[in-house]
Amino acid sequence: MTALPTLAVKNAKKPARVTGHGKLAAVYLAPGMLGFLIFIVVPLVASLVISLFDWPLFGAPKFVGLDNYVRMLSGDPVFWTVLGNTLFFAVCYTVLNLVLALALSTWLHSLGGWGPFFRVLFFIPVVTPMVANALVWRLMLTDDGVVNSFLANFGIHGPSWLSDSQLAMGSLIVMSVWQGIGYNIIVLGAGLNGISPNLLEAARIDGAGALQRFFRVVLPMLSPSLFFCTVMTIIGSFKVFTQPYLLTLGGPGESTNTIVLYLYRNGFSFDKLGYASALAWALFVIVMLITALQFSQQKRLVNYDN
Amino acid sequence: MYTWITNESDRAQWQAFVDAAKKKDPEFNLTLEGPSFNDYWTKVKTRLSSSGAPCIITTQAARAQELKDLTVPLDDMVKSNNVDVSMYNKAMIDGLTVDGSLRGIPYDAEPVVLYYNKDLLAAAGVKEPGLDYTTTQFTQDLKALTKDGVSGLAVPPGFGSGPGLPLAFANGNGPVKDGKLDLTNEGLVKDQQFAFDLVAKDKVGNPPQASDGTDVPEQQFMSGKAAMIIDGPWMYETLTTKTQGKVGIAVVPSTSGKSVGMIQGSAFAIAASCKDKEAAFKNIMKITTPEVVGAVGAARGTVPSVESAVKDWAGNKPAADVSVVESLLKSGRPLVTTPNWNQVETNFSQYSGEGFRGSKSAREIFSTIANSAK
Repeated sequence: MTALPTLAVKNAKKPARVTGHGKLAAVYLAPGMLGFLIFIVVPLVASLVISLFDWPLFGAPKFVGLDNYVRMLSGDPVFWTVLGNTLFFAVCYTVLNLVLALALSTWLHSLGGWGPFFRVLFFIPVVTPMVANALVWRLMLTDDGVVNSFLANFGIHGPSWLSDSQLAMGSLIVMSVWQGIGYNIIVLGAGLNGISPNLLEAARIDGAGALQRFFRVVLPMLSPSLFFCTVMTIIGSFKVFTQPYLLTLGGPGESTNTIVLYLYRNGFSFDKLGYASALAWALFVIVMLITALQFSQQKRLVNYDN
Repeated sequence: MYTWITNESDRAQWQAFVDAAKKKDPEFNLTLEGPSFNDYWTKVKTRLSSSGAPCIITTQAARAQELKDLTVPLDDMVKSNNVDVSMYNKAMIDGLTVDGSLRGIPYDAEPVVLYYNKDLLAAAGVKEPGLDYTTTQFTQDLKALTKDGVSGLAVPPGFGSGPGLPLAFANGNGPVKDGKLDLTNEGLVKDQQFAFDLVAKDKVGNPPQASDGTDVPEQQFMSGKAAMIIDGPWMYETLTTKTQGKVGIAVVPSTSGKSVGMIQGSAFAIAASCKDKEAAFKNIMKITTPEVVGAVGAARGTVPSVESAVKDWAGNKPAADVSVVESLLKSGRPLVTTPNWNQVETNFSQYSGEGFRGSKSAREIFSTIANSAK
């Protein structure tokens, strides 16, 4: 722990070496920064500019100022519907994903030697292409698909999982949790492995039962991993696109239309790039605010004391 | 060439053009690329805005308005190459003319028809329809056919693919008036409601899912799970050869029984970004000669855009089927749409499930789409 201040003092005494390190660092950072500039900053600024125009994919753009934002907030009922759908998806998906991932990773941790094998099984959907997963689930959930055929064996007439507006979003959430849960299982599993057995043993000696050990020792020690999973899962859930695009096309009606699907449609199917850019900025602001809120609570909720 | 390639049937059709053109010019070749038909209308715009975009693209009379900024007017090249445009189907040429200029050379002119499974009709004691078919009789027949796990009608979720729009056309109604979207007119609403009710109330078909492609109802028909389907003649070869049971075609039913055909034709156009437009035009002319479109019609079942080549298409087909298409060609009108048609189609697929399940009316759905497409 004393090495860093010593190094800093040494470096402070030798400004020439600092410059040399700085140049080397700049060289190493250049490709990443160049990529960041070209693929993040430039499109970000461009989309902000485009959002102020009525901009068809082909044809001349026309400056409209803040009209796209005004229309989004006050003249387009579909925007509020898709925003509501996205929020509903984000809340259900995040809660289900985290609760199940925590339960499963705790169970897998207790399995000992078989744990890694099952972790790989749960992780396979994460690395399988989303399109392939979605198409398989679509076949399973059609009216005469595997799920309803299975239910028919018990005399149950299965519902239309993807065509009933009451069930379609639920189907998407279940499919998405199945697809994404493996990632959080791996992260939380690594967090569990990092908890010292001595702490749990000490708690046991002090008379703490299994539930007390879980809530008083495991959860606080796991809070950095849980915080990371929560932030990433919420951000990911706001960007949901492939599942509604392939399974329901946003329907029936607007019941599964999400903000990214609506944004994509406006940009590339409806030829309204300006409005799509305004939607993208709305999404950016919402995700940024939620993430900022999470980070503002980090000190209160996350235990970094090892 | 950038075109829709949904399945092997599509690829075989495009290859038939190349093979037919090679008979006259052995050096002729055409490289094909493209997504499925449903994705085509979205992806063609981004593909043509990228570098190395193909010169020739496919379009439809129904989409000529929508793609007008992507394609070049062909009038000057038609003139300088002494092309006789009058040999092509007039409805198609009218449909492909945008703001007074021609945007594509048609290769087909296809009135949408009603396919039926002869074996299933015979088993249900239903008389085969022909050139006169009323919607009342159609409903009765579909009810009689719906039994033992078989549906009367296979239903796609799309608007243009039917059954609502072809039924509306058969009654002389349509979605566009004076070049503007007219989705809430009484005739169209009534005919679309009739189509919804067939499924929602009469239960003669399964409600489609929004994400179903046209291949889903086609598979239902081919596997013998549905007795009838409304589809284009471009599916003739596939549906007549791959269906379990013999297949016949009839006019799309109408209230009076005298049906107006909905002509859905396609064409080859030149991308605005093409560097050598003259060469592209010459290649288009090689694949739209009467000989080529006739040969493709004979091989694949697509109805040629050139009237004199219709006999090649008719050559190996039953006389009853030929008379249906010829009758609809005579009475037919092209499906001409508006620049925002892709939005109409996308939204309709998204909403039609609610119509086919009876939770929303045709008027409600059309009003929502009309407001959204403004």
